[in-house]
Amino acid sequence: MDIRNIGIIISREYATRVRKKSFLVITFIVPVLFALLCTLPAVIMLLSKEKGKVVEVLDESGIVMPYLEDSDAVAFIECRDGDLDTLKKGLDAAGADAILHVSPLDSVRKTVSVDMYSVKPVSVDIKESISAMAASAVEDYRLAGYEIKDLKQILEDVKADIPVSTYTLGEDGQEQITSSEVYMVVSIVLTLVIYMFIAMFSGMVMTSVIEEKSSKVAEVLVSSVKASELMFGKIIGVACVALTQFFLWIVLAVVIIAGVNATVGLESLAGADPAQMEQLTQMSGMDMSMVDTIVSGGNSEMAAVVETLKDLNYGQLVFSFVVYFLLGYLLYASLFAAIGSAVDNEGDSTQLQLPVTIPLLLAFFIAFYAFEAPDSQLAFWGSIIPFTSPIVMLARLPFGVPAWELALSIVLLLLTFVALAYISARIYRVGLLVSGKKTTFSDLWKWLRQR
Amino acid sequence: MGLIRCKEISRTFGEKVALDRVSIDIPEGRIFGLLGPNGAGKTTLIRIINRIIMPDSGEVLFNGRPITQRDVEKIGYLPEERGLYRKMKVGEQAMYFARLKGMSSRDAMAELRKWFEKFGIQSWWNRKVEELSKGMAQKVQFITTVAHRPSLLILDEPFSGFDPVNAQLIRNEILRMKDEGATIVLSTHNMESVEELCDGIALINLSKLVIAGGVDEIRHKYGNNNVELVYTSEHPVSSVAGLFDVLSDTGDSARHTAVLSLCNGTGTTAVLRRLLDDGAVVNSFKELVPRMNDIFIKLVTGGEYVSR
Repeated sequence: MDIRNIGIIISREYATRVRKKSFLVITFIVPVLFALLCTLPAVIMLLSKEKGKVVEVLDESGIVMPYLEDSDAVAFIECRDGDLDTLKKGLDAAGADAILHVSPLDSVRKTVSVDMYSVKPVSVDIKESISAMAASAVEDYRLAGYEIKDLKQILEDVKADIPVSTYTLGEDGQEQITSSEVYMVVSIVLTLVIYMFIAMFSGMVMTSVIEEKSSKVAEVLVSSVKASELMFGKIIGVACVALTQFFLWIVLAVVIIAGVNATVGLESLAGADPAQMEQLTQMSGMDMSMVDTIVSGGNSEMAAVVETLKDLNYGQLVFSFVVYFLLGYLLYASLFAAIGSAVDNEGDSTQLQLPVTIPLLLAFFIAFYAFEAPDSQLAFWGSIIPFTSPIVMLARLPFGVPAWELALSIVLLLLTFVALAYISARIYRVGLLVSGKKTTFSDLWKWLRQR
Repeated sequence: MGLIRCKEISRTFGEKVALDRVSIDIPEGRIFGLLGPNGAGKTTLIRIINRIIMPDSGEVLFNGRPITQRDVEKIGYLPEERGLYRKMKVGEQAMYFARLKGMSSRDAMAELRKWFEKFGIQSWWNRKVEELSKGMAQKVQFITTVAHRPSLLILDEPFSGFDPVNAQLIRNEILRMKDEGATIVLSTHNMESVEELCDGIALINLSKLVIAGGVDEIRHKYGNNNVELVYTSEHPVSSVAGLFDVLSDTGDSARHTAVLSLCNGTGTTAVLRRLLDDGAVVNSFKELVPRMNDIFIKLVTGGEYVSR
């Protein structure tokens, strides 16, 4: 292969992409979109709550009604007299959304049965809140049956909530307060970003190959350079675009963090008011259980979060991200380049893409298990096997991965890339010049063996 | 001494034989026509010369040595299906192709400026290809093919898509480059331009070389001994057994035009003597050379060649 030619190809692929307006737009819009995406669940939760439903209650047991508390979502109206049938008939006229019928108390089994009637189906939220309120009514009734003095108070006193503070032990035995939730969030972010990067940029390679083939530039090009030079030049050129984008995002992140630090100060965040924190975390859409632990744990938990964030090995994370992105991208991009060379237009590529997109998606799903159980068998093998390893390993990485596993996974990934690049280049070289009929897998096999 | 010598080139694609032991000599400094019906194997041969694909057997010699990737830089190839990056600016694109052919940026820039000036298209330098008409894009494509001063030009249907004025412009450039010593391979279905431009041809049909040689030589070879005779005589000439047959005769006693088919082995002197003996006054007597078009059709269809 001719290094000079590859260099010229790389610089064209790089320059035409980086100079595009869309490159700048993506560089600055994506972080904003990403932030929006994080707050989206919270917004959806807020918007999805139902409001102002009215429920008529016919309580024949006499114990449930006091426990039914009105809320924003639902208001309860007790109907002391009248029977179920007339209520049912008058449901529409009464302006209520539903009728709640509580049966008389079954004194033997000490329970009630609850039925709900409505014209439109009742939402799961309302159903569950009513179920919970009725259950506590029955529980209290049963407790009262034991006739123990102050039993309720006793039970209240017995309840316990023990938060677990987690520490990691450094090699010098130094204890370090950590927050497992922070690891999880970092892991999720890394997974999303690397998945997006690999899928986006290797897809870009495919599109560009198809464009060259369908516009017939390919034939002119391969009369000057070897097909393999063209393929690797393109793949490397796009990789440089990706690294530039990544670098710009890191710069952007550092600038923003420095900005926040200068105006608010990270330290002040650690001593923040719990109520304020709750608001903050809810806005960012974090897991509810996490909010609970942070809030209930008060300042020490928040301190743990800040400590963990400060003590993450960013150098290692960024380095591993770059290594795994590059290798994963190279692997998938060479496969996508081969697919691109085999089709005349993007529409035809769907079928051939399948065997390549499936492992990519699989990796994404395994990564979701890795957040919760980073040392499980599934996560371990997912992070060793080359097709899934770039994404799954990144998901495991914040929790700490032994060096030998990292080394093994990187070496395997590298070897697989070399083998697949060879195969892809052989397919690419033939595919680029073949047009007309739709390519099948057996064609690819033939091309691969062609001299 | 041929600039390009193809020796016994064979190539198959799966079951399909694209080239079957084809040997062609392309002489240096000439315009060489590569002819053949669609699907005959011309494009495969061109791709093999360009090292885009490799032959199954046989070899290509460039200046007497097996061709290398370095030699490919001395080739300019204009494929039949033209292709430029639509979103790229004309100038940048031309620079890109020139540099891939081994030119330094400075050389490429100087040479391209010259060509743009010659074609009067300097103002296109910063325009995107998608803004150009088809004919305009063809001009740019031609420039990208020749800018690196190739010693071998392979042009596949170079005149298609051009109006007569621009086709003439391209034709003149081809002739000029030939005068400057370049070797040109012209693959075309336009037999008139073959007669006008080519010194030699090779015709490929059904993956095999059918005929190769000088254009004049081939046209004479495929002349079936017909002559056109213009004469003055009281009575029309009639066929003479063993000497010639009269295929047609028109005109009046003042001026007859006849087409004679000479029998094999008959010399023109014997024919003329016989005519004079018969008292005919011969105004003109000329060999009827078949058109390349007719030869092409005859060789490709295997059918009878019919004189005009």
